[in-house]
Amino acid sequence: MNSSLEQSFVSQLEEHQNIIHKICRLYTSDEDSHKDLFQEITIQLWKAFPQFRGEAKFTTWAYRVALNTAITLYRKKTKTVNTIEFDNKIHRFNHEDYNFEEEEQIKLLYKAVHQLNDIEKALVFMYLEDKDYTEIAETLGISEVNARVKMNRIKGKLKKIVNP
Amino acid sequence: MEELDLLKKDWKKNENAFPKITEKEIYAMLHKKSSSIVKWIFIISILEILFWSVISFFTADENYLKTLESYHIATLISIFTVINNVVILSFIFLFYINFKRINTTDNVKSLMKSILKTRKTVQYYIWYNLAMIGTIFITIMIASFMYDEKFTRIYKVSGSDQSFMFWVLIIGSTIIFFAILFGLFWLFYRLLYGFLLRRLYKNYEELKKIDL
Repeated sequence: MNSSLEQSFVSQLEEHQNIIHKICRLYTSDEDSHKDLFQEITIQLWKAFPQFRGEAKFTTWAYRVALNTAITLYRKKTKTVNTIEFDNKIHRFNHEDYNFEEEEQIKLLYKAVHQLNDIEKALVFMYLEDKDYTEIAETLGISEVNARVKMNRIKGKLKKIVNP
Repeated sequence: MEELDLLKKDWKKNENAFPKITEKEIYAMLHKKSSSIVKWIFIISILEILFWSVISFFTADENYLKTLESYHIATLISIFTVINNVVILSFIFLFYINFKRINTTDNVKSLMKSILKTRKTVQYYIWYNLAMIGTIFITIMIASFMYDEKFTRIYKVSGSDQSFMFWVLIIGSTIIFFAILFGLFWLFYRLLYGFLLRRLYKNYEELKKIDL
């Protein structure tokens, strides 16, 4: 593949790398796995890049390939996980308006989201990213009505975990 | 505030809290090897196709052909071989087409479907090969009952009153042999693909369940 294509890919990915980080955050529980999944998504994006025509936005296209990699293509390596430690690490960045009770609830919520299955995580991820139900349904390959129903069930599930 | 909206607030706030990966690091990643399940399925499938092609190539030696001629089934086996070669080529073609259709820009469900379809093609190929081995084995067995002198002698020695037991033993051991062979293959593939595809099957079922 030619270097100008490579350059264009690398600079766009560098600019929008947070998309991948955010997916890795939901689908992995420790730093090593985060890096590992980040790398696999990068490779898959690069492989698919020649088909990227620029009709869709780079981010819309990247969301799909990255989610597909996290849910379907990535082979998890078996290792012990330390979810809480990893989430605390990210939370260190967020100290200005500290509200102890809210912070505890958020920690609990992240823990609860990590317990969801891969498909539920994808729904939560797209919800957190402000995607509408048409896009959520289209990305997963399910109907819009069923995407809404499933989302409501997940909300109920999370409510139960946080307020037992 | 609803739980997920509380999470969304925090999610947005921490959007830029990740350690930045530099362009140089991204360049390095592009040249690393993928470890995706599609890559593994591709490698394993190629090995499977090669394995069965090599097996059919090695069984066609001169002694074997002479024996077949003495059994009067050389023509029949040649027909089997031609059919077998056509089927193998068709399987390779189908595998290639299905593999090419795996597209990471598809929606999640379609991507899973195309991976499973590719995998199924190879699975059918394996069962086809086992069935072909079974058919050829049974054909050779029947022919040896009819034309092999050694076999006829053993049969005569065993005496006509023992003939029922004789057939029970022959048919019984053939069935046991095939049951063990099929069982071993089944177990091997369950372990191999079970390990590789367990997560994919689980997620695919979950998606199907949502859309019921």
